[in-house]
Amino acid sequence: MRLNKIKKNGLFRVKELNCENDCVARLMAMGLLPEQEIRLVHEAPLGDPIAIEFNGCHMSLRLADAANVEVEPIE
Amino acid sequence: MSESSQNLRIALIGNPNTGKTSLFNTLTGLRQRVGNYSGVTVEKKIGIWTLPSGKEVELIDLPGTYSLSASSLDERLAVDLIAGHKENQAPPDLIVVVVDVENLRRNLFLASQASELGVPMVIALNCWDVAEKKGLQIDCKLLQQRLGVPVVPTVAKRKRGTEELAKAVESAVENRQMLIRPKWPKPVQNALERLHEEFITRRNESLREGELQRLLFDRKSAVRERLKTPAKEHESIITEIRNELYKNGYQPDAAESMLRFRFLNPLLNDVLERQAALKKRSKSEGIDQLLLHKFWGLVVFVGMMYVVFQSVYTWAGPIMDLIEGIVGWAQGLASNALTNTPVLQSLITDGIIGGVGAFLVFLPQILVLFFFISILEESGYMARAAFLMDKLFQWCGLNGKSFVPLLTSFACAIPGIMATRTINDNKARVITILVAPLMSCSARLPVYLLLIGAFIEPRYGPNVAGAILFAMHFVGTLVAAPFAWLLNRILNKGRKPEAFVMELPHYRVPQIKLTFFRMYESGKEFVVRAGTVIFAMSIIIWALLYFPRPAAVEQAATAAYVQEDTGTHQPATINGEMTPEASAQLAKRVDAAYLEQSYMGRIGKFVQPIFAPAGYDWKITVGVLASFPAREIIISTLGITYALGGEVDEESDDLRSTLNKAKWESGPRAGENVFNIPVALSIMVFFALCMQCGATLAVIAKELNWGWSIASFITLTGIAWCAAVLVYQIGMLFTG
Repeated sequence: MRLNKIKKNGLFRVKELNCENDCVARLMAMGLLPEQEIRLVHEAPLGDPIAIEFNGCHMSLRLADAANVEVEPIE
Repeated sequence: MSESSQNLRIALIGNPNTGKTSLFNTLTGLRQRVGNYSGVTVEKKIGIWTLPSGKEVELIDLPGTYSLSASSLDERLAVDLIAGHKENQAPPDLIVVVVDVENLRRNLFLASQASELGVPMVIALNCWDVAEKKGLQIDCKLLQQRLGVPVVPTVAKRKRGTEELAKAVESAVENRQMLIRPKWPKPVQNALERLHEEFITRRNESLREGELQRLLFDRKSAVRERLKTPAKEHESIITEIRNELYKNGYQPDAAESMLRFRFLNPLLNDVLERQAALKKRSKSEGIDQLLLHKFWGLVVFVGMMYVVFQSVYTWAGPIMDLIEGIVGWAQGLASNALTNTPVLQSLITDGIIGGVGAFLVFLPQILVLFFFISILEESGYMARAAFLMDKLFQWCGLNGKSFVPLLTSFACAIPGIMATRTINDNKARVITILVAPLMSCSARLPVYLLLIGAFIEPRYGPNVAGAILFAMHFVGTLVAAPFAWLLNRILNKGRKPEAFVMELPHYRVPQIKLTFFRMYESGKEFVVRAGTVIFAMSIIIWALLYFPRPAAVEQAATAAYVQEDTGTHQPATINGEMTPEASAQLAKRVDAAYLEQSYMGRIGKFVQPIFAPAGYDWKITVGVLASFPAREIIISTLGITYALGGEVDEESDDLRSTLNKAKWESGPRAGENVFNIPVALSIMVFFALCMQCGATLAVIAKELNWGWSIASFITLTGIAWCAAVLVYQIGMLFTG
């Protein structure tokens, strides 16, 4: 499941990242790595960008970039 | 600060939102200077920090960055400076890494990257108080042991921990304490060794080990641009080595993050003690439930922007009026004192005092805006505003951070352009700066009011007049959107724009002291660096309008006036003495005559054919040309050319009715009215789009460079001319 498709507020685990995307590379330097738990916290009023939470910090990224992050839901 | 060369040099680095600048201000007080690094627009802040031992230290505040991957301008600068490649200076003697306790792990990533550049380090755990309040405990001693460098808790806002920091700095420099570095797995080691051999041993490049890592790990590294080895050659070597690393099981783009975090994680075991409270939703998240809400978030946003815009527009108004009043008073004073030396009188009143007034008048708006920008940024709301608005700007290569600068430009482009400093993506910043002058600023309003009041309102009533006034405010925006899109295509040349990843930091109460400091800084910078240029331009325009000044012109104008006067029923002279009204009238006629044969008048007549397709006669042309330093000038210039004196304003009935009656003096349309509705619209459109503002040009030159400034002047003037011609010609089809 790709990060740009997930619904709000569920908990997810990062499975895979396409690190060739600049945004993803940046997020990785902030600790967004496989196995990391993340949460979708906000969607902008126009649907894009989204804000995710991991490690206690909130990051905004655009849907086009979020498509480069593969996640799975945590029960 | 001249002896600074022997002083210790310390660079301050850290992630954004760690309170780094706050610590910098606390340590240096007001003993700092701000400039730009040569060749780039990144702000350079250097201050003097006096240690308790009395020693003075040069402190360099580097821009906040998350990593040193050197893809953005800020990161590149940080790497270059720490590695000692910036402005021919040796590497700093020490790095202080400012770390936000709440994001320790992520913040130490940057520290770990920086450690590879071989400079001693001290870690400042900032915002210690907030962490304590949140139930976060850190075992500093343990952390210090494991990292190998001093770790000092600080609270920059309350000046806590600065003495300990000073002690730590001295000991770290003396003992050259370095942060512990990860041991790379064999494939990475091999790759680094190969890079060393290729570039340092064989090609004699001056690189540090840490920079070799940047070459290896970063897809696009600024370090590459510094290599002496030709691009093709170094590219193929680096690609080959990266490919080999990939074959050995490490994706080069991901390897560094994976390995460093794997290395840092065990170091933080038992160091961090979180209490259950932290798991709960933070306060910031609660606030964001409202501020980022799909409906209410927008309502609050619009409300807040309304307040900002209104304040820049109206709060600054009375102060601007006051400044204008003082300038006018000073002009009157100087004018009276210097009646015996008319050239000096005009130079000092119109040239010098007028020129100083021309830029001082912008100061209130700049201060008010930076008051708000500072509060919005410090509190953390600015990132939210960008988050809400981002989608609107994506398609033309901009991002949400362009919103506030562009909105502000509706009041005045100068503070708007200065506000673009909050945009990290340099290309987006350049585009925002270039379209900002198209937003309809308040200086255009008098021009609209004059022309609408004279031509539209009497004929079509207040409703149409209001609609046109409204439409005029959007002409610029309408042109700005495709212009931005085009600029993006040109500047990015099909490449994707820079990544837009942005932290939504925790909300914080802004520090009022910092706010005033930023207002002071921006105001000072404007006056010192843009003010001088605006001043010079004003003097030049004054000279063009004043010279030459042969006495024959006055005699001819007087003779003509007296001659004409004998025909009118009101005698201008009683017993050979002129009545006051008549002499005032004559003075205005003389001014008009002087203006007509001044250099500016001659230039106006000479270039009038260029403006003929837009329906302008030479008088409007002179008005347009004289308004290049500042749009408002057209009103007083029209006042002078039509012999009403320079003190008219847009509400003057005199000026309005005179414009209505003005006739073509010669040419194919001699005798026809100069001003009709198409001409009025054409002038308004020209003013809406044209870059008639010396102050804006000066500020663009300061924020980017003169090349951009001149290019934007030419482009916008070209667009304005085309649009004005189009409006006039189409208008004439309907009305002519």
